[in-house]
Amino acid sequence: MPIEMSKYLGIYITEATEHLEALGRELVELEKNKSDEVVDSMFRHAHSIKGMAAAMGYEATAVVAHRIEDLAQVVRADRSQLNPELVDLLLAGTDALSEQVRAAAENREAPEPQTILARLTAKFTALTQRSPPPTRVMEVAKQEAKAAATLPAPTAAQPIQAEAPSTAALSSNFQGRWSIRLSVAPTCQVPGVRAFLVYKRLSNAGRIFELRPPIESLRSGRIPDGLISMELQTEASESEIRALVKNIAEVELLSVEAVQSSPAAAPAKPEPAPDGARSGAQDPMRTVRIRTELLDYLLENAGELLLAGANMREWGKGLPGQIRAQFNEGVDRLQLLVKDLHGKVMSSRMTPLSTITDRLPRATRDLARRRGKEVDLVVTGADVELDRAIIDCVSDPLLHLLRNCVDHGIEEPKERETAKKGPRGRVLLGVRRTQDRVVIELEDDGRGMDAEKLKSLAKERGLITAEVAARMSDKEAFLLACLPGISTAKEVSEISGRGVGLDAVKRAVENLGGKFEIDSRRGRGTRFTLDLPLTVSVINLMLAKVSEEVVGLPIAKVLGATAVDSGKLSSSRDSAYLAHEGGLLPVYELASLLRWPAAPPGGIRPYIVSEGESGKVALAVDKLLGQEEVVLKVLPSPLHLIPGLSGVSILGSGKPIFILDVARLLEYGPAGS
Amino acid sequence: MPKRVLVVDDAIFMRNMIKDIFMSGGLEVVGEASNGLEAVEKYKELKPDLTTMDIVMPFKSGIEATREIIKENDKAVVVMCSALGQESLVMEAIEAGASDFIVKPFRSDDVLAVVKKVLGEE
Repeated sequence: MPIEMSKYLGIYITEATEHLEALGRELVELEKNKSDEVVDSMFRHAHSIKGMAAAMGYEATAVVAHRIEDLAQVVRADRSQLNPELVDLLLAGTDALSEQVRAAAENREAPEPQTILARLTAKFTALTQRSPPPTRVMEVAKQEAKAAATLPAPTAAQPIQAEAPSTAALSSNFQGRWSIRLSVAPTCQVPGVRAFLVYKRLSNAGRIFELRPPIESLRSGRIPDGLISMELQTEASESEIRALVKNIAEVELLSVEAVQSSPAAAPAKPEPAPDGARSGAQDPMRTVRIRTELLDYLLENAGELLLAGANMREWGKGLPGQIRAQFNEGVDRLQLLVKDLHGKVMSSRMTPLSTITDRLPRATRDLARRRGKEVDLVVTGADVELDRAIIDCVSDPLLHLLRNCVDHGIEEPKERETAKKGPRGRVLLGVRRTQDRVVIELEDDGRGMDAEKLKSLAKERGLITAEVAARMSDKEAFLLACLPGISTAKEVSEISGRGVGLDAVKRAVENLGGKFEIDSRRGRGTRFTLDLPLTVSVINLMLAKVSEEVVGLPIAKVLGATAVDSGKLSSSRDSAYLAHEGGLLPVYELASLLRWPAAPPGGIRPYIVSEGESGKVALAVDKLLGQEEVVLKVLPSPLHLIPGLSGVSILGSGKPIFILDVARLLEYGPAGS
Repeated sequence: MPKRVLVVDDAIFMRNMIKDIFMSGGLEVVGEASNGLEAVEKYKELKPDLTTMDIVMPFKSGIEATREIIKENDKAVVVMCSALGQESLVMEAIEAGASDFIVKPFRSDDVLAVVKKVLGEE
């Protein structure tokens, strides 16, 4: 049977990339931990890449991978051969392989890796006094792969033992399909759990399709007339199915009937597992790889659907009474489904942070070696999952912080010795999840930051006044390092550049709705904390009317709201203060902060209590419009340049609104200040 | 021979009540445990036909204990004892391998009906 290699290109690239990342990681690990597992695993990765590349006909890739495999074999036989130079060489080989795979992914001619190949070969010969064994590459496949890469038309190749996953097993003919109907006793106190127990028993025996009511309704006990129906594809016989349900109390099996279906027919969409994480690990056939663009598209459109639904609800308000009730019921059902869909799409976008942290040990090693330092990176909690969009946005900031730790934080080995520390520096990267946040901490055991020096630098550059500096806590002073143009580095380094960086990190974190903090102790080390939301796209807003416009404030940033007679505010000099919970909060006209024309009305008006960098504030608005859940959209260029805006959204009414970043608005102060 | 039961609950009151119900139904209570840790130990030691398991307990929750018991013996019959409002915990326990559940406060007939059914005695 001819095999069309081009169709494996995607999986080749994905898997080879995974192996390469693991290989890089393990090479770094190998310097500290020369255990059999690490060496064996490294060998396996190189071996797998070689095998796949050979099958695809990528000769250069296969040969380089083979040399790495050979050298791994040398290390396997004699651990003492392992030294930093060999690791450098193997890492360089890994980089060359990555370049080859990238070229294949981008459908371009890869550079010939002669230099690295010669170095690998020379090393092998030097270590073993032998020349390396030849690499077998599928000759026909080689031509075909090239043809496949340039021609869109499908091409045939020699049969090759390809390990690509086959979906054929999913529609196995050996399995029967049964239509099953059950009822839950009307006296049952918790029908949802009963039904779930049935679902669970049956799903353990096979795959469930056409579940009615759907699993979410089932779990929450919304089971019309107590009737449940489903189709079960299973190897079990009818009597085995009956036995499965027989011993469940309060449940009656109404019927089990064989379903006639042609094996060629595409299987119906399976009901989603009750818990996404449940089946994935044990059954790899149940997962598929999806292009991230497609996930983005799905999220975007699910978000649009939510908006369209909210739109319809608004529109329905104009309908006459009786029709309106029916209409609303329909819209409610639709919204429920769309919300569920949106939630599922969101959860499908959750990715473990390890997708970025896996690369960091290698980066640490490279950075440290360039600076003549020795640094270990310890990562914990990398399996915590975050929205892919957030992962993408924190990737660069994390790398930058790591650079900062290695470059400026960790001392040279000599300096560490004087400070009575071990010669190897240590950077801890810890990730933990709270209810709806993820906290990433990056901590080094280096020289720490100097709050006083930062303050005097900021004063020198006219960024803060002496008065402000005197009032500043150390924690606040550390954040001065995030101001453009400030850095405590004594010299410009190839690695970190000047002052740029920390400000970008802070901005990136804050744009995601997160918080960035620095804590440090002189001589002991520095800790960077990134406090991030799990997902970005749906947020709860407090809506307010300001100068005839509607704006939204993230509920997370709203501490309260109150209505007060503006004539009764306390005032000192030009500033007004609002008495709130036993304290006095400075009052700002939101319109003035936004530089919008304002004619503050007198009398009783609403104030939103929010939090700025330097404490709580009261924001005067014209009217409070309540809360609304909206889909957050990033600010299109050039709107992102306007300080104090964190996003846009569209309300159910179709009205576009700006979402405000109060902390930044306050930073810029009211108009005319 | 009567079926052998292990009763797990952190409240003595509750254990006594369950014991009485089981004895009236002709089952033999061979052991008791007051937390999840003890439950797993006792299970391994006694190998009962049935274990009734409270969910919220000190040291180790009933869900965790169930998971460990099922790991020990995937045919183990564990029946969760839950209160109304703990539906999602019970579903989690079912995910972990629990065979069935009874809802507190107990009615003797209901408990025996569930237990006998799950033991295949009906």
